[in-house]
Amino acid sequence: MTELVGPLSSGRTSLLTLCLRDVTRRGALAALVDTDHAFDAAGAAAAGVELSRVLWVRAEGHRRHALKAADLLTRCPGFALVVLDLGESPPRLSVGGAYRLRLAARRSGVALLIVSARRVVGGAAVLAVAARRDRLAWTGPGPLPRRLAAMRSEFHLVRKQGAPSAAGAERLWWTA
Amino acid sequence: MVDGVTRIACVRVEAFAAAAVERCEPGLREQPLAVVSGAAPATRVVEANAHARAAGVRPGLSDAEAGVRCPGLARRPVSPDAQAAAHHALLDACLSVSPRLEDAGPGLVHVDLAGLHRLFGHDADIAARLRRQARAVGLEARVGIATTRTAAMVAAWVGPVVNVLPAGGERAALAAVPLAALEWPDALQATFRRWGLDTLGDLATLPREGLGTRLGPDGLEAHDRASGVDRTPWVPWTAPPFWEEAQGLDYELETLPALTPVLAAVLGRLCARLSVAHLVADALDVRLALLTGGHHTRSMTLAAPLSDVPALVALLALEIEAHPPAAAIVGVAISAHVVPRRAAASDLWQPPAPAPRELAGVLARLTTLVGGANVGAPVALDSHRPDATTLTTFSGQPGTPTDAVPDTRPAADRTGEPAAGALALRRLRPPRPVTVDVHDGRPARVNDPAARTLAVVTCAGPWRISGDWWDVHVWARDEWDVALTDHTVWRLTHNRLTNTWTLDAVYD
Repeated sequence: MTELVGPLSSGRTSLLTLCLRDVTRRGALAALVDTDHAFDAAGAAAAGVELSRVLWVRAEGHRRHALKAADLLTRCPGFALVVLDLGESPPRLSVGGAYRLRLAARRSGVALLIVSARRVVGGAAVLAVAARRDRLAWTGPGPLPRRLAAMRSEFHLVRKQGAPSAAGAERLWWTA
Repeated sequence: MVDGVTRIACVRVEAFAAAAVERCEPGLREQPLAVVSGAAPATRVVEANAHARAAGVRPGLSDAEAGVRCPGLARRPVSPDAQAAAHHALLDACLSVSPRLEDAGPGLVHVDLAGLHRLFGHDADIAARLRRQARAVGLEARVGIATTRTAAMVAAWVGPVVNVLPAGGERAALAAVPLAALEWPDALQATFRRWGLDTLGDLATLPREGLGTRLGPDGLEAHDRASGVDRTPWVPWTAPPFWEEAQGLDYELETLPALTPVLAAVLGRLCARLSVAHLVADALDVRLALLTGGHHTRSMTLAAPLSDVPALVALLALEIEAHPPAAAIVGVAISAHVVPRRAAASDLWQPPAPAPRELAGVLARLTTLVGGANVGAPVALDSHRPDATTLTTFSGQPGTPTDAVPDTRPAADRTGEPAAGALALRRLRPPRPVTVDVHDGRPARVNDPAARTLAVVTCAGPWRISGDWWDVHVWARDEWDVALTDHTVWRLTHNRLTNTWTLDAVYD
């Protein structure tokens, strides 16, 4: 169970889309529990995600439904990746609930990725990564930019199970 | 065909009306059972199982007399639905052995054995197979095999449960059969007794024309049966497009836990039929007869073809829980849309996928949780309109790995660092209306009612797009990418038709 946190425009959704692309292009199946109905399917398809291998579950803002859906999907062996996108107002998740999700994911061999604005599963996460925006690149023929060209994100390792102190950062460019 | 002679098997279920009821309630097989019709006190026995017949219960007896002859007699009303389902089940069972069948009436099927001897062996082996398949759908059958349908039917009526008449020796074999061992119309039986006829051989020696003159069509048919001669052409039976099982109830069901065992029983019989025909259900239609006289109908398309009873029961229970009937239930009928079963192992080079049974269960639970319109595989529509997407049925089938497409995009910035991927958007659905202060034709400040007023640090645009100008859904918009003072980057849209601004998405 991996947690990916960060504010808006930090690059966390781009990393989520990259994970979906890698999983689906491998031929495997992925599930996305979209709490706020924010997933940009057309953009994901343009980014290389095989949409037919993605199960999109839209919770329409109901966070409890999103958590239940993620619980159901993590108990179904066969998905290579289950993404729980909790959006900008993640619910409070009890320690028991978090470890229940982690145990279900471990038993069924599913990789669970939780994306939200702040950390919600605490010590139950095997890996926690925080994202933040680093730089923007604009493009255009004249002095005034006509289009956003790219964005660079910085990803910090916040927690890694078994490691006494997590450290390290990586910067990634995303093209618009 | 044996030595150039066509062989026909007749599969017959004894006391068919009782057998159909026993198929719905297997517990009744171990006790005397009478199928009755008519309202009290005129209730009459229509059919009785072997235990009841051993106690002296016969068709036509009054209910009271049957009760006196057999004190522990269980009674059930005649169920046309159960009989129709049982008869179809018998036809399905026979169809799994031979593709050429003839529907010879309730509980009676003729099977053409041409070409089967190479597959299954001798006549006795085929007969054993037919009985085994009939037992798989809950029916105990007798099998008679002969060169003609008539002789095979007589063979299925008398003698051992598997009665094979040698080719060419049918007439001699039938000659010894007592007339009393078969069912005849009462008037005909009385005539035979008056004429002193005891066996089929006695009847067969009489001239056919004379019998026709004196007894009419019944006499001709009786003579054909005694001679083992077929006079009618073979009418082949083909499997119906729908597979249905039904069960009527003597009592009302008002709760889902009470209904579940009935669903399990009906689906169990349906899946047994599908299993012998090497089929699986692709969709189910359930029709619940209500106490008010109406029907509650639900259709359920399965995420993956299934014939697994517990999974189907769980899915149907979830469907009925989500859409409960308006009144108590007094009957259940389930029909299946079928597809051939694929007996294929998983591809060694493909990633694992959810088992169809588990995936169907998870999808049904997700549908109950968030609604059917919110579960599926996304599809990008062929349109230039931003966010033109929809959902389709999730197949759950993994694919072969797609070859990596070389990234031909330019380096992300002037430093030449390669990009890890595409910058994703988080859509706002519906787009959030905002007011925008514009300076020199470019957004300078965004006033978001849901947040605070934010100044624009950098903006890029406009990116002018439009579409559907030939339709009433015409749209035309200018898109701006704006970086705000709170370190967020938005896609801001100006609707040129309504002169309004909205936040469509945020880069993330």
